[in-house]
Amino acid sequence: MLRIRGLKKTYANHIQALKGIDLEVPSGMFGLLGPNGAGKTTLMKILATLLEPGGGTAELNGVDLVVQKGKARRMLGYLPQEFGLYPTLTAEQTLDYFIKLKGITDARERQALLGALLERVNLSSARKQRVGGFSGGMRQRLGIAQALIGRPELIIVDEPTAGLDPEERVRFHNLLSETAGESAAVILSTHIVSDVSDLCGRMAVIRQGEIVATCAPREAVQQLAGSVWEAAVPRESVPAIKSRHQIVSAQIFGGQARLRVMAEGGPPGAEFTPATPSLEDYYFGLVSQAAEGRGR
Amino acid sequence: MRSLARTPFGAILRTEVLLNSKRVAPYAMLTLFTGNAVLWWGWGAAGHYGWATNSEYYIIRNLTGFSFMTLPLFTAVIMGDPVIRDFRLGVSPLILSKPVGRAAYLLGKFFGNFFVLFCCQLAFALTLLLLQGLSTSRMVVLPMRVVPYFKHFLVIVVVSHLFLAAVYFTVGTLTRSPKIVYALAVFFYPLYIIFQVILKAFPPRWRVLPDPLLMNWTGPITKGSQSGEFLNHLAFSYDSDVTTNRALTLLMAAACLTVLYFRFTRAEGPGAQAPATLLGLSAGGEAVYGAGAGAGQRRHSVSAPPRHAETRSTPLQERAAAPTAMAIPKVKAADEGIGTYLKQLVAALGVEFRLLRAERGLILLAPLVVVFSTLELAFSVTPDVSYSAAYASGTAKTSLLFLFGLTIFYTGEAMHRDRETRIEPVLWSVPAPNFVLLLSKFFATLLMSVSLIALIGLTAVVLQSVKGEMPVEISAYLAVYWWILIPSVALAAGVSVALNVLLRDKYLTYMVSFATVGGLYYLYSLGYYHWLYNPVLYRLWTYADLTGAGGPQSPILTHRVYWLAITCLALALAHLCFPRRLEKGFEGEGPLGSNGWSFLMAVISLAVAVITGLLIALPGR
Repeated sequence: MLRIRGLKKTYANHIQALKGIDLEVPSGMFGLLGPNGAGKTTLMKILATLLEPGGGTAELNGVDLVVQKGKARRMLGYLPQEFGLYPTLTAEQTLDYFIKLKGITDARERQALLGALLERVNLSSARKQRVGGFSGGMRQRLGIAQALIGRPELIIVDEPTAGLDPEERVRFHNLLSETAGESAAVILSTHIVSDVSDLCGRMAVIRQGEIVATCAPREAVQQLAGSVWEAAVPRESVPAIKSRHQIVSAQIFGGQARLRVMAEGGPPGAEFTPATPSLEDYYFGLVSQAAEGRGR
Repeated sequence: MRSLARTPFGAILRTEVLLNSKRVAPYAMLTLFTGNAVLWWGWGAAGHYGWATNSEYYIIRNLTGFSFMTLPLFTAVIMGDPVIRDFRLGVSPLILSKPVGRAAYLLGKFFGNFFVLFCCQLAFALTLLLLQGLSTSRMVVLPMRVVPYFKHFLVIVVVSHLFLAAVYFTVGTLTRSPKIVYALAVFFYPLYIIFQVILKAFPPRWRVLPDPLLMNWTGPITKGSQSGEFLNHLAFSYDSDVTTNRALTLLMAAACLTVLYFRFTRAEGPGAQAPATLLGLSAGGEAVYGAGAGAGQRRHSVSAPPRHAETRSTPLQERAAAPTAMAIPKVKAADEGIGTYLKQLVAALGVEFRLLRAERGLILLAPLVVVFSTLELAFSVTPDVSYSAAYASGTAKTSLLFLFGLTIFYTGEAMHRDRETRIEPVLWSVPAPNFVLLLSKFFATLLMSVSLIALIGLTAVVLQSVKGEMPVEISAYLAVYWWILIPSVALAAGVSVALNVLLRDKYLTYMVSFATVGGLYYLYSLGYYHWLYNPVLYRLWTYADLTGAGGPQSPILTHRVYWLAITCLALALAHLCFPRRLEKGFEGEGPLGSNGWSFLMAVISLAVAVITGLLIALPGR
């Protein structure tokens, strides 16, 4: 279990990226949703011991990630949003290097782990190839392999599926699910809502450096039962509807606006029909509330 | 009619000039060529032989020497990779998908970069031209002249290097490998010398015609007519041989570019495509997560066409529940301790050294350092104690500056590589202590420098044997290199590591380092070379001092301990200021924590440096 209490971070340019985060992350997949600039990457970097917080604690199974960085790094697997690899090393050399740095010194164990990881991420046949010639997907898979070294207790993956094709994305999710099933906590930081709804048992929404909701995705969807409505309306009528109701999404199609609107106690208009709520409705609802709050 | 500047050719040419204006290399070349001109003007052969510094003879002599000695390598630096750069940065699809013809693209690239090269080269001729206005009492200067500088510069330097530029550009673009271009540049000298040896068998006229650098052309000079007075007033005009030679050279350049035009393809190089083709990502992934797929099946499926439809039709949950092909074995990380740290250090050192070896610049620089360090051994060597001692001392003195430069440069490269390749967040999240990351870079650079020293020593030994100046005493080489070279490069690497950590910026560190080295050498040249601020022992040692024959007062050992302590102090400071935090302050595991150990190390190093410094500074030493 990862317990985060009052975690703050203010950058040198006075931008307050985290405003006292409180969060509990149990074993299994945990989704961290938020729009760009919400503070997800800052939180991930602090948990990965790469950034010093301005205050607060983060404790993983009794180890303080903020203070005991050495111990924390032995329990971590981290896949950053953007990362590079040495282009002149082969996949095998790269992974072997990380395994050694992780403190796995027994040669036989190292070889077995190296083979299994490469096999697991489907890079066995490319093990002798230089990383510089890898495609984006292959590089991402090698990144995943290094994050899985030594069965970490906490795996942090920050926007991991950016740049992956749909097939690769599904397979990456499967791999994460399996890993989470092996008693690790996996924090999946993303702004792709469907990734969280497909994979995560628990989730949190972060917005402007604050956690605005923590729940199970299923519970979040259930909360919205009977309050989501949809309709195709003329584009000109959108401002009027917007002034009276919370629009969670609007898509322009064939000269008309397809709206999903949140409204308690009945349809917002005659043209509206009930819609099956989704996690996207919940998320967009939270985010648009924030936008309206800012507007006021 | 559209002006040339508004055509795709003009746009590409201008962009190349703009891109080069943001690179360090052209400015470094400008500085170097200007310095070279000043050196040959003030301290060249003219003063010695009574030649006028602005006589046509001396202008031609300087330009020919400049063209031969410095330019083939620099031409490769500018002309080797303009197209490779586009492919490497991934900008080529954006450019080549526009309505830009092959000729416009290639010629724009070629002439844009050649213009930059031309400007750099012109600095040499312009400096010589301007220096006519200055003279010392030893110099002979004729009335001011302008035309010969430009005329001979165009004919001797520009035309020659247009050909070389075309060769490098063609090879670089077609092979997409800068290494091949640099190898070609390095091998230019031996190839050209062999070519000259072959040409010697031919009559004078046939020596001039095929020579691309025009080194065999002597103009109106004949044997016995070389007095300074005669040469100063000699007028040089180009005869039909030179004209034919230049025309042939230009034709060869054009032929190279024509071959390039017909052979150039817009497609990605095979290197970039091979992995994606070999590994059908979808099919490969399917095999990994597919139920019960064995290793053999998996390998087969890698080359099999992807089965998208079939895969997509399977629900995500079903696929997630499918058994995996291979479980990740449980492994035990070794306990923290000196044994584990040493193993991590060895692993990191191996990787860092491998990465240094792969530096393309090293392929060019290492042979140059060896050649320049051993060049004077090719001439007569006067033995003081023994031939080996003279050879070792000679190479130590000449190589020191090169080794310093290389060590500073490659320490900077190693220190900033992790950030530049964006591997830093991954690397910094592993449980390896900071000293593993820092010392691996320090030792890797040191190992590279020691390898170079070994190569220089080996070359000197071979030269000594070939010249028959026996006996070869390996102990003499070991003594000189052990006491003079290795501690000096260790200091350079240690201080450079600290500067890179403290200043955070690679180019600022280079500037500070090279300015410090330059300043120190300037001080030494003025006669200030005290032991306390003379880490390379400039003018402070003889071979006898190193072997103990200099008497018990020889302070070399104390001096070496003094500088070793400063090296350790620099490394401890680097560790203390390293931006990756292990624990907060002095907290953490162990009695002192990681920072505590480095603080202790800094204090001890400082104490040793102060004590040995006082010993060195004592009167009478």
